[in-house]
Amino acid sequence: MQEPDGHAEQADLADWVGSIATTFEQAASQAGLAERRLRVAGAPVLLRGAGPLLTQLSHALDHVADESDDEPELVISTWDSATPQIDDPPLPETDGSGPRGTLLYSSDGTRQVAYQVGLAQLSAYDGARNAWFWARDGAALPWWEPAAPFRQILHWWLAERDLMLLHGASVGLTHGGVLLVGRGGSGKSTCALSSLESNLLYAGDDYVAVGQSPVPYVSSLYCSGKLQPGHAKLLPHLPPPMFGGDGSEDEKAVFYVSERFAERMCTGFPLRAVLAPRVVGGTEPRLLPMPPAHALRALAPSTLMQLRPPRPDALSWMARLLQQVPAYELQVGGPIDAIPRTIERLLVDLER
Amino acid sequence: MLYRVNSPQVISETVGGETIIVDLGSGHYFNLQGTAVDVWSGLERQEPVSAIVRRLEARYETGAEPIGASVEAFVADLESAALIVAESNGAAPAAVDEPAPVDGEREPFVAPTFTRFTDMQDIILLDPVHEVDSTGWPHASAAS
Repeated sequence: MQEPDGHAEQADLADWVGSIATTFEQAASQAGLAERRLRVAGAPVLLRGAGPLLTQLSHALDHVADESDDEPELVISTWDSATPQIDDPPLPETDGSGPRGTLLYSSDGTRQVAYQVGLAQLSAYDGARNAWFWARDGAALPWWEPAAPFRQILHWWLAERDLMLLHGASVGLTHGGVLLVGRGGSGKSTCALSSLESNLLYAGDDYVAVGQSPVPYVSSLYCSGKLQPGHAKLLPHLPPPMFGGDGSEDEKAVFYVSERFAERMCTGFPLRAVLAPRVVGGTEPRLLPMPPAHALRALAPSTLMQLRPPRPDALSWMARLLQQVPAYELQVGGPIDAIPRTIERLLVDLER
Repeated sequence: MLYRVNSPQVISETVGGETIIVDLGSGHYFNLQGTAVDVWSGLERQEPVSAIVRRLEARYETGAEPIGASVEAFVADLESAALIVAESNGAAPAAVDEPAPVDGEREPFVAPTFTRFTDMQDIILLDPVHEVDSTGWPHASAAS
């Protein structure tokens, strides 16, 4: 973690964040300014957009649209340099070497900035309530960005509210739900999306915000759903993908649950259990109690690796969470519609 | 010999008698159980290896392999995996109380080991994070 290194560094980062803000205002003066109000994890959030990027990125947040005029606790300003064509914000000089996903990160203890070199995406947060997301060309965004927009900014901001952006899916009933955890490909998305034709409510299939005070609670962040192409056959109730991609092997189909299954979308519920899916075959899904340490192993690494840098107490935070709710291995097999029934039965049992 | 956890790159948590260690640099994570948890807890407290061995000798029945040799081999494995680093700047070891002998029959000693998981390292290889200081960033005056 980059530590503050005296006044000079603080001034440098402050200057740079200030210049990012100035660039956005220039873009807004050319392209016009659009706004959308949201309520994210209970807090009012304002999205400001110059150009079409706001529409592109806010689709996944449709379900948390807010009609109130409450003073926003976070303001995210977003734009690109393609429509209309404007100058890039000041960016760090790099030699372009390294993998496409290379992230340059810096913090002075208050402000945080992250630049994804190969993707030409910039996230910045002033540590107060203002954040910025810029992409060089919104039309060239990778498929996953509109599905889970502003992740980096939300990761920083939620941590200040003692919430954590966790890598996991979540479904449940109004009185409580489960968090499905595991590395990519473990089956958590499939389990979550199988619930769309059941009594269960949907809070997300990849990232959710979780708090612990006063009780463990899941807040939905995104109404998107992602499937690997092969999964569409397993879940024929799902709509065709909203957009294709480059056809690469890891391409997933993305759709918006709030459009097709509006009645299933929810904004959150108390967290009652953590489930780690495992595909084992068999005729019916089974739930086996799981030691907290095993659940931590299923939850923590993928969260820590995907959202960088992790807050210093991230691992102990997750361990505390797992000591408050039971964890189970969800052994998946048999008909896919048996999965939500199994989860629902568990939630009803835990409520008794 | 004195070691410290290779933080902030390495973070760990013990829950339910097992320790999870995550190396944010490599993407590897590790699971420790039993005597390995005892050793790791001592290293976290910056106890000398000799003090950790004395405590284990007071608690466990020595098996075929001496406890000291087992612990030293395990510590070497932890160092090789870059989870701990040797203290070379004269840091003072933590104060350690002499272990009290265990009443009754002692448990047999099982050599400490760890299990390493590498399934997350692709994320680090594809999306590495480089933390940079202010010299790496543009300044408003230079950019305008």
